[in-house]
Amino acid sequence: MTPAGGPFDAATLEVLWTRLISVVDEQAKTLRRVAFSTLVNESNDFACLICDAKGRSLAQNTDSIPSFIGTLPASVKHFIREIGAANMRPGDVLITNDPWLATGHLPDVTMVKPAFLGGRLVGFVGSTAHVPDIGGHLRSALPREVFEEGFFIPPMKFIHGGEPDEALIRLIEAAVRTPDQTLGDLWAQVTGLDLAERRLIELMTDYGLPSLDPLADEFQGRAEAAMRAAIRALPDGTYRNELETDGTTAPVTLRLALTIAGDEALADYAGSSPAQGNALNCPMCYTFAMTAFALKAALSPRLPNNEGVFRSVRVTAPERSIVNPLYPTAVGLRAMVGHYLPALVLGALARVIPGKVMAGAGSPLWNITQSGVREGGKPYANNFFFNGGMGALPFRDGQSALSWPSNISNVPVEMMERNAPFLFRHKRLAAGSGGRGRFRGGLGQEMLIECESETPVTVVFLAERTRAAAPGIAGGGPGRVGAIEINGRPADPKAKHVLGKGDTLMMRTPGGGGYGPPGARDPGLVERDRRMGYVAE
Amino acid sequence: MRQEEIGVVSRYSLGIDIGGTFTDIVVYDRETGRQFNRKVLTTHGDPSIGVMTGIDTLLKEDGLKPEEMGRVVHATTLFTNSLIERKGAVTGLITTEGFRDTLEIGRERKYELYDIAIEKPAPLIPRNLRLEVGERIKHDGSVKTPLDEQRLDKVADELVKNGATSIAIVFLHSYKNPSHERSAAARVAKRHPKVAISASCDVAPEIREFERASTTAANAFIKPLAHVYLANIAGQLKGRQVRAPFQLMLSNGGLTNVEEAKRSPVQLLESGPAAGALAAAFFGTEDGGGNVLAFDMGGTTAKLSVVDNGQPLITYAFEAARQKRFIEGSGFPIRISSIELIEIGAGGGSIAHIDEIGLLKVGPQSAGSEPGPASYGRGGTNATVTDADFFLGYLNPDFFAGGTMKIDLKAAERAMAPLMKQTGLSLTEVAWGIYDVVNENMASAARVHIAERGKDPRRYAILATGGAGPVHAYYVAKKLGLRKVICPKAAGVASALGLLMAPARIDRVATVAVRIDQVKWTDLEAAYRKLEDNAKAVIAETGLDPKKAKVTRLADIRYVGQAFEVVVELPDGPYTAASKAALNEAFEKAYIEKFTRTPPDVPAEFINIRVSVKAEIAGSATEVTLAAGGKGKALKGKRPVYFPEAKGFVEAAVYDRYAMKPGDSFQGPAVVEERESTLIVGPGASFVVAPSGNLVVTVPQEGAA
Repeated sequence: MTPAGGPFDAATLEVLWTRLISVVDEQAKTLRRVAFSTLVNESNDFACLICDAKGRSLAQNTDSIPSFIGTLPASVKHFIREIGAANMRPGDVLITNDPWLATGHLPDVTMVKPAFLGGRLVGFVGSTAHVPDIGGHLRSALPREVFEEGFFIPPMKFIHGGEPDEALIRLIEAAVRTPDQTLGDLWAQVTGLDLAERRLIELMTDYGLPSLDPLADEFQGRAEAAMRAAIRALPDGTYRNELETDGTTAPVTLRLALTIAGDEALADYAGSSPAQGNALNCPMCYTFAMTAFALKAALSPRLPNNEGVFRSVRVTAPERSIVNPLYPTAVGLRAMVGHYLPALVLGALARVIPGKVMAGAGSPLWNITQSGVREGGKPYANNFFFNGGMGALPFRDGQSALSWPSNISNVPVEMMERNAPFLFRHKRLAAGSGGRGRFRGGLGQEMLIECESETPVTVVFLAERTRAAAPGIAGGGPGRVGAIEINGRPADPKAKHVLGKGDTLMMRTPGGGGYGPPGARDPGLVERDRRMGYVAE
Repeated sequence: MRQEEIGVVSRYSLGIDIGGTFTDIVVYDRETGRQFNRKVLTTHGDPSIGVMTGIDTLLKEDGLKPEEMGRVVHATTLFTNSLIERKGAVTGLITTEGFRDTLEIGRERKYELYDIAIEKPAPLIPRNLRLEVGERIKHDGSVKTPLDEQRLDKVADELVKNGATSIAIVFLHSYKNPSHERSAAARVAKRHPKVAISASCDVAPEIREFERASTTAANAFIKPLAHVYLANIAGQLKGRQVRAPFQLMLSNGGLTNVEEAKRSPVQLLESGPAAGALAAAFFGTEDGGGNVLAFDMGGTTAKLSVVDNGQPLITYAFEAARQKRFIEGSGFPIRISSIELIEIGAGGGSIAHIDEIGLLKVGPQSAGSEPGPASYGRGGTNATVTDADFFLGYLNPDFFAGGTMKIDLKAAERAMAPLMKQTGLSLTEVAWGIYDVVNENMASAARVHIAERGKDPRRYAILATGGAGPVHAYYVAKKLGLRKVICPKAAGVASALGLLMAPARIDRVATVAVRIDQVKWTDLEAAYRKLEDNAKAVIAETGLDPKKAKVTRLADIRYVGQAFEVVVELPDGPYTAASKAALNEAFEKAYIEKFTRTPPDVPAEFINIRVSVKAEIAGSATEVTLAAGGKGKALKGKRPVYFPEAKGFVEAAVYDRYAMKPGDSFQGPAVVEERESTLIVGPGASFVVAPSGNLVVTVPQEGAA
């Protein structure tokens, strides 16, 4: 029953696990509470983590988003490699936003604090959060190199043994548009890290644990075994899938060969398009995170998030491809590539476990950035999100207008109309946009917006699947593609547009793919769809 | 006339609390401080049957007369259950052209990340009963398109033709200009007088169309039920010669009259838990310094709420009818004021099992009351928390529910045997494991909940109620590093008493959405006055003097550019341009308390303004005192009880709560038994019977394991 150093029993492990999760959850609630940016406190665009002394992940906060679950543990190992554990002191806080070592683009800042017990480094607490601004180009596909995308922080110390690095702080202050908010959010991460380190040490003291390593071995070992068992249950073989995405001038190809060999899975992206000369590139760390997310969601969604889960998963991609671009390629819109990958993985798995996967989703999520100058001459900008439909399941229709694989809320129409010179004529489900099938894809949504501004309004979009539809599975049809129209005429989703008073803007997000042959659909569901108007007349 | 009636301080008050399993009836005698209570099974078909049975039995057995009851206060889970089970009225929605899908689209965010089979909660009103009319009000309140009345008549007729007996009306920006909603509501009511109407500008006049629509739809869904039910129960009470004014507990812990409850029954959703939190606040005042963590652990769930300075924390946004019971974001958002509490799937009936990586998990699945824990001997075969509690000696098999229930210890051991096999642990280790895991679940939830509010858990005393609360409170307190455990008398039924302690309270809200540096102060003052007058009118309807009511002004304030607001208590009015500094200061203070610092150089803006009008009811709250017991010998005997400090079973003293007198002091390890619950005190702790009648335990400080 006493855990100290010895083998852990089922009850003690569960208590320690719950307590560990409460440490990261408490850290997350604190970060969320203290952060200024709505990306953190409204959209949950952050994650918190505990690692053992070797940088192997132990626990993440309950709400942490899939991408950071995959990237944050790797970042801790990069810190150990780049800075060296021997050079870390109590009271240090490490920082980086290197897209290749952290999350794939500059606005996500990763911070890590080594935890010390009795003068010995026993583990790490960490967090990643999207800051309000990091300088450089406003979010768009235009940059060609990462230098244009903002302030780049290599792995270094933000705080040296309790002393903040004033030079770094002054540099950040000078480089970003919102210095108070960006730095405020970095300090919010520090507040969360301090609390998490304290709580972790309390936990170790309470339970007489001199080291986290035996506990980590136990948790990771158990999770690893469960994930390996889940993979072993699949027939060996190589399962291929391919998707075309909208791209900019020409479509982009994403190609996957998923090999199941015994209890290991290898996802290889050979044959995908080369890295692009713009910001539509997805660094390897993000490629890994999105691939691992999909495998876990399909095979063993309830397993705890620790390093053990991912030991049996390998992800490879040719260098200089769109899913493994090298420094200093621009990578700002990596999600516009990365968010396709879970659908690619699930599509490959459909051949093996058709009963456990989802058809293609109407994702990546959509966004409109609207900027202009107020009558007083002051510039302003607004950022609004919209989601498409999820894919159908082997046993149920897809969910309409729901964020996947990301998890970002919309902004209420009443708030958008207050903040932007827009009048929404409608925001409704797009009838008929779900792919046909035994189970129907989820519906996208359609917004019709009238511009009411006396001064010109600039709009840019994040909008994918306007050409490449979300695929169906097992005979299901594709979802309807999304569309953007200005004054009733199709508009280029990747270009910048200017709206004047009275102009109308129509945005329709894509629907999800269907599952199974449409002819096999339950007549009761066909009748319900007709009565509810979910299908086009 | 009515005013006099309620002003009279009568000797007896009657509280009725209908819960999911039990209905509690409590009578409080303010002359002697005695309380009488009865627990009867809730009769789900017609809850008034259980209520009347309970009242009849109590009055008869305790020799009380119905006409002596001076007031009747009622709380019920009926409306919450109706939402969970989706058994409400066929409801229609009339909304602005282009926006009938608002209710179905929601906020587009998942409540679970890895579950690809996630399901949004289906809207209470299906798409074919959500119809649109031409009308449009802009964000500044100006009318862009007038209300199309011909179309309105047509869609209302269509909804009624399709069976709707209740209609919700939600137009965009009605929080700013309610004129279209009001005239539509009046017109539909006139055309279809039997149909219940709920306009969003009355139910939840706040900006954010989905949350407002969700609240209004929930109100409309339960409104016809509320009409029938409240009229029925009021009628039956009259029929039994209980002529006292009939009051309802609101989710925010205030009381209101039947008419207000019928108008807006959505305000009653959390009335039962609100009574529990009020009771905790009351019992924690004297011995907890007003700062308590109320911990109510029953058969299927544990509820935690935070009481600061004697006041339970209030939230202005909560969720009803969660799809996944304990997961945030899986329910309908409800925008009304409510006592803030968290619910955890941890109760006496919570089932222990081994998960896919071999960890011992407890809950959230529960054996419920049927078949219940294995030890109940009613056919339950799963090991539950109660079974572990019996095995460890915390519960007394010969005195469970006051000795009215026969306990099968062997069945408990049989149920735990498979867990022994799976984990390689001994029976004692499995039992302690179950107990320790469920405690950690609750302690962790409390830690995170308190952290979210920016508070330090160690400033609280834990106040244990519910059947299982006192059994677990001591070791939950140790995990949280709390120094004090308070256990009120009759902890098993304490929450019903909370009904009799509440003031009348009416809350009102309106959206103003204006920057603090652009406020027209006469307008703001007028807006507050309008809300106050409205709330006071309801207080007057309740039979109280509105002039004696206490008015609190609040506002939801944020910095421009943020997407969330902080609810701030403001200085009293009236406001003029000179008030700006004081209001700003109040906001900054509240902001720093919650977020530790303010962002520089950003102006603040008011989104919603709120008033809370409270009027004390004679005979309630502070006047409640509980008679002290103290007959016979406190020490009943000794029995072996497991304590982790001793790493095994030790002979612990067993005390009879009913024989303890204020001033008596004791040492742990100890067990204190009363009919409805049992308090466990570990080695090294001391405890006393406080003058309040509470047992107050001082927890020794060492490692939490």
